[in-house]
Amino acid sequence: MSMECGVFHTRYESDMGLRPRPAQRIRLAVLALFVLVFPFVASTYWLDLANQVAIATVGAIGLNILVGYTGQISLGQGAFMAIGAYTAGLLTLNFGVPWGASVFCACILTAVAGTFFGLPSLRLKGLYLAIATLAAQEIVEWAMTHWTTVTGGTEAIVVPAPRLFGLRLNTTFNFYWLAVLTAAGTALFAANLFRSRIGRAFEAVRDQDIAASVIGVDVFRTKLLAFATSSFFVGLAGAMIAFYRNIVTWERFTLNTSIVYLAMIIVGGLGSIRGSFLGAALITLLPALITNLGRAIQDTAPQAASLLPYAQQAVFGIVIILFLIFEPRGLSKLWENVKDYFHVWPFAYRRGESRAN
Amino acid sequence: MSEMDCVHAGSGRRAEGWRNAPAEARAKGWAAGVAMLVCVACGSDGADADDNSIRVGAIFDLTGPTADVGTDYGDGVRAFADWINGQGGIEGRPIDLIFQDYGYQVDRAEQLYSQFVSEGAVIFMGWGTGDTEALRMRIAEDEIPFSSASLSHRLGDPAEAPYNFLLATTYSDQFRIALDWIAANHGEGTPIVALMHNASPFGLSPANQGGIEFAEAQGIDLTLYEMPRGAVDFTAEFSRIRQSGAQYVVFQNTSGPAAVALQNARSLSLDATFFCLNWCSNAQVVQLAGEAAEGLMGTMPYAPLTVDVPGTRVIHDYLASRGESAEGRTNAYTQGWWTFAAFAEGMRRVLAAGQELTGASIKAALETLSDYDMGGVTAPVTLTSTDHRGSKGLRIFRVEGGVWVPFTDFIQAPAS
Repeated sequence: MSMECGVFHTRYESDMGLRPRPAQRIRLAVLALFVLVFPFVASTYWLDLANQVAIATVGAIGLNILVGYTGQISLGQGAFMAIGAYTAGLLTLNFGVPWGASVFCACILTAVAGTFFGLPSLRLKGLYLAIATLAAQEIVEWAMTHWTTVTGGTEAIVVPAPRLFGLRLNTTFNFYWLAVLTAAGTALFAANLFRSRIGRAFEAVRDQDIAASVIGVDVFRTKLLAFATSSFFVGLAGAMIAFYRNIVTWERFTLNTSIVYLAMIIVGGLGSIRGSFLGAALITLLPALITNLGRAIQDTAPQAASLLPYAQQAVFGIVIILFLIFEPRGLSKLWENVKDYFHVWPFAYRRGESRAN
Repeated sequence: MSEMDCVHAGSGRRAEGWRNAPAEARAKGWAAGVAMLVCVACGSDGADADDNSIRVGAIFDLTGPTADVGTDYGDGVRAFADWINGQGGIEGRPIDLIFQDYGYQVDRAEQLYSQFVSEGAVIFMGWGTGDTEALRMRIAEDEIPFSSASLSHRLGDPAEAPYNFLLATTYSDQFRIALDWIAANHGEGTPIVALMHNASPFGLSPANQGGIEFAEAQGIDLTLYEMPRGAVDFTAEFSRIRQSGAQYVVFQNTSGPAAVALQNARSLSLDATFFCLNWCSNAQVVQLAGEAAEGLMGTMPYAPLTVDVPGTRVIHDYLASRGESAEGRTNAYTQGWWTFAAFAEGMRRVLAAGQELTGASIKAALETLSDYDMGGVTAPVTLTSTDHRGSKGLRIFRVEGGVWVPFTDFIQAPAS
C-alpha cells in the first residue's frame, strides 16, 4: 500500500484529511445517496435487514477495536451486548429514564464492565485471554437467566417504545435513520481514533507489546482503555437492539452471538472499519440469501431446497474457512484489490512485475 | 495517506503466492460470486402465486435444539395445507403456505416474519416461546393473527398479546392438571414433586405462570431443577431429586432430553412417577427411552395418531392417499395439522360472511369459535375477545406396552 500517484497535497490539512482524494469523495457521495434513497424504495423486509446490519456494524466496530486493532481476543461480545441491552431496557422500564439517557448509561456501564473483565489482560494473552473472556460470557449469561429480581430471569422484558416529540422511533422506517446515523457516527469516531495517539498505541500493543512499552506506551492502561472503548460501542449495539425490538431476551446474547460477531470481523477484515461493516453485512445477510436461494429453487429442485436448511450451518463455516485460506484480510482487502485493479485500468502492469518493488 | 495505510503493518509480510499471481482471475471469480448472490437476493420476491390464493407464513425448527418435535409439527402444518388445497381450498381459495426453517434463532425468526408479512402473509404459524415473545409487539402492530406452538400462558392473554392465539391447553394449565391429579391420587403425606425443565422461558413457563402458587395452595412440595441445554446426563440432578425424596418428576422439555433423563432415572432405579408435559409426551420419547418410558404419564392436549377419533382418521386417510405411512408420526403432527385447521376455520368464516381477509377480520372470526370440535383430537376449543386460550382441558395419557393410551377422560384445568 502506498500513496496514490498523481495526487499532490499542497497543504497539511489536505494531506491529513480522512478522505483526501476525489475518487473517495465521489464514492462517499454515491454511498450517502444510496443510504438516503434506500428506505423509500425498499420493502419492510429489506429495511429490517438494513437495520440489523446497522446494529451489527456498531457491534462489529466495537469488537474490532479490541480484537482487530488491539489484538486482544474476546469471546465476551454476547455478554457485553447483553449488559447494554438489559441496562438500557431496565432503566427505561423501571425508572422511566428517557431512552437517550438510558442508552448512554448502558454504554458507560458496559464500558465499566468491559474494563473489569479486561483486567486479566494484564497477565494473559491470546488463547488464555480468550478463555478469560469466555468466563465473562458464562457469568453474564448465568446472571441474566438467574438473577430474577433484576433481569426477570428467562422471561423476556418488554421495553417501552422510544419516542421523539411524540414520534415512535422504533418503526422499521424511523429506526433506519437512527441506526444509520449511529453506525456512521461510530465509524467516524473509530476511523479518527486510529489517527490519534491513543489509537496508534492500541496498534502498537497489538503488533509488539514489548516494543510498545519501550517507546513509552503504558501497555496495561492501553489494553484496559481498548476494552473500555470497545465495550462502549458493543453496549451501544445492545441498547439499540433493546429499543428496536422492544423486547430483551437472554436468548439473543449467548455464546453463539460472540462467535457470530468474531466471524463478522474475520470475514470483513481484522483491523478495518470498512471490514467491520462489510463483515456485519455479509454475516447478517448470508442466512437471508440462503433462505431466498432455497425458495428460488423450491420449484425446480425441491430435493436440494429441502436440504438447504441443514446446509446453512455448513455454509456459514465454509465461508469463514474460505476467507481464512484465500483472503485472510477479509472483504476489506478484496475491496482494495478491486480498487487497485481499476485504478490503473486498463494499463495494468503485467503479471509478476506488479510486485517487483 | 488514507486511513487504511498504516493498519496492517504486521500482517503484510506473508508470502502468498496464490494471492500474487492470478489477481485478475481471482477478481473475476469473486465478481461472479457476488453477482450470483445479488441475483439470488433480487430474483426471489416470491410474488408468483395467483391472486386468489391465501398467503400463510410459517417458521419451523428443522435444525435447531427443538427439531426433534419441530420437524413433525412442520410436516403436520404442510400436510394440512396440502390436504385442504386438495379439498378445493378455503371457500375455493387455495392456501399458499410459505415457510422456512429458522433453527430456533430469534434473529432468524424476526427476519423471516418480516419477510413473509411483507410478501402478504395474512396469518402466521410460529413456533418457540422466545421468538414468539420477541415478535409479540410487532404481531399486534401488523395485525397478523399468530399461532405459536408455544403454549406459554401469557401469550393467550389478549390484553398483552392481542393477535396471539393458543389452541391447546397452556403449559401452566397442563402443569396444574398434573399437580391436581397428583394431589388427588397421592394418599398419605405431602406429595413431593420435582419439575425438571428446559433452561429457557419455555421451560420455566409452567412454574412461573401460576404453577408455583397452585402447588403451594394444594400443599405440594415443589422444587425446580434446570436441565442445561445440550446435556447428555442428568445423574447429578437425579441424585439431588433422590435426596429430596420426590415421588413425582415432571418434565417440561422436548422428547430428546426427557428420554435421556428417563434412562438416567431407570439406571439409578429411582422410584418415582414420571410426567411429561406437552412436548415430551409423544411417541418419540417412547422410542428413545424404550423400556424406561413404561408407565410414563403425559398431559397430552393433542391426541396421537394411534387414538381413533374423527380428527386422526382424516389424517390417516390423507397419509394413505399419498401412499405414506403414519409410522413414526407423533402427536406433534396432529398438533400442526389441527392448529392450522382451526385458523383455516376462522378464515373460512370470514370468507363465508363475504368479508375481506384481513388480520382484524380473521381475529374477529376466530373469536367466534365456540366449543369448536377439533375432531375429538383436543377438548372443544372456545376463543373469545378476552381469552385466547383455546381449550382448558385435556386427557392424561399413559405409556402401556410402548403405546400411549388415554388414562383419564378430558379433565378441566383447575382455576389458578
